[in-house]
Amino acid sequence: MGEVGEQWPSDAELLRRHVAGDSEAFGELFRRHRDRLWAVALRTVCDPEEAADALQDAMVSAFRRAADFRGESAVTTWLHRIVVNASLDRLRRRAARPAVPADEQTFEALAAQDSDPVHATDTRLDVDAALRTLPPQQRAALVVVDMLGFSVADAAVILDVSAGTVKSRCARARAKLLPRVAHLRGNRSPGESVSPAQGGDP
Amino acid sequence: MRGHMTHPDTDVLADYLAGLVTGRRAAMITAHLADCARCAAMADELAGVSALLAAVPAPAMPDRVAQRLDAVLAAEVAHRNESERARGVSPQERPARHRRTGRGGFRWMSPRVLAPAGAVVALVAVGGYVLSSHGSSPQLQGAASAAGPATSAQPAASAQPAYGKAAAPNATAGSLHGTSPLMSPAELPVVVSPVDFLAGSLTQQLESDLRVPLTARTTRVATTTIQACVQRVAGRALVLRIESAHYEGQPVTVVVTRASQGEEVQLAGPGCSATSSHLLATRTVPAGILEP
Repeated sequence: MGEVGEQWPSDAELLRRHVAGDSEAFGELFRRHRDRLWAVALRTVCDPEEAADALQDAMVSAFRRAADFRGESAVTTWLHRIVVNASLDRLRRRAARPAVPADEQTFEALAAQDSDPVHATDTRLDVDAALRTLPPQQRAALVVVDMLGFSVADAAVILDVSAGTVKSRCARARAKLLPRVAHLRGNRSPGESVSPAQGGDP
Repeated sequence: MRGHMTHPDTDVLADYLAGLVTGRRAAMITAHLADCARCAAMADELAGVSALLAAVPAPAMPDRVAQRLDAVLAAEVAHRNESERARGVSPQERPARHRRTGRGGFRWMSPRVLAPAGAVVALVAVGGYVLSSHGSSPQLQGAASAAGPATSAQPAASAQPAYGKAAAPNATAGSLHGTSPLMSPAELPVVVSPVDFLAGSLTQQLESDLRVPLTARTTRVATTTIQACVQRVAGRALVLRIESAHYEGQPVTVVVTRASQGEEVQLAGPGCSATSSHLLATRTVPAGILEP
């Protein structure tokens, strides 16, 4: 995935055309980024149905509010911001709702269309399970910075908090994840660094 | 304190690695890491968390989600085009837009809503829909029953009203304003609305629709499917009204809840159940808009 990089028309140009009345432009823009936007929504809300709802809210909102985009950030940053907002919104609503176990469903969606080797899927599921133990704000920060690779400055725009807050949410989240994912590192890069000490034994 | 310190805990190390620890404290941690293999290993592990996360492949968007989003987007585009065309087509109607006072001003309705109309002042056909002037809400009464059987596939709007208009208006009115003991969604009647809501004019349509008095509408008892759906959609929010209507031709359950500012209106599609809200649209309307 990740069709980042130079494309023409540029994201900004597509958005401009959309605002000018071009019927195709927004669709093209959205399709260009939708896998990443899906990833951020799914990982933030941890439920495929809610993620689909959140992404739909976000898409409609971006479609209608495109004229408000002032170009202070990249178009992708703006899109991610809208998706993260919609996702956190969903979570707030879900918090006010009796929990429905969606784990099986989630895992299926997360593993869907997966041609990865088995161990990569396991890693992904373990990571996703670990992510859902985090508070939503920390999770969103970690997803945006560590998983999607946004800079702290861009993440601050996306999450609408200061850069310091982004750093501290990420730091807290990494510390919490450490004991849950330490065993996975061997899988990923056998040759690398330390033994999988689980936060303790000298 | 001396140059040595006790082993920093994971949070502190994580802050340190994120550049959040400065000055003397940072220097102490730096020195400690140089001396303490265990903490140095922990710091490596922490750095490894980010690397691990970056390496996890992102899940591709499932096809069904992609299709759903494409459909919603197509509806948005169609609506934008339509409302732009509408603005161009009947410039003489435009001042009506500014007369949006009182009972919701003009609204968009599907033709079938207007079929029994007597009070309609001006009709301008635009793109298959009809723009009516205001003051026509009583006609909805007649339209409600006429609209029913249009889509028998849906559990919502098609069933014959079990209660007819028997739902006690007073009790309902109390709960609508949150002043009487809360009615659970199960007790709230489902108001059958004849309106086919459209994405491009949803807010205006909702504001008109919700102002129609309950006495002018057919109501019926919520099915268990609708109850489950409402619970899923509303969560713990106070449910003010449940309606069966259509949105872009699809049967929807309209759930109105009390929000922090105004009332939140959510339109859930036919797939709405206890586990999936299948939300098609969400709007906020002014508080107190609901007619008892």
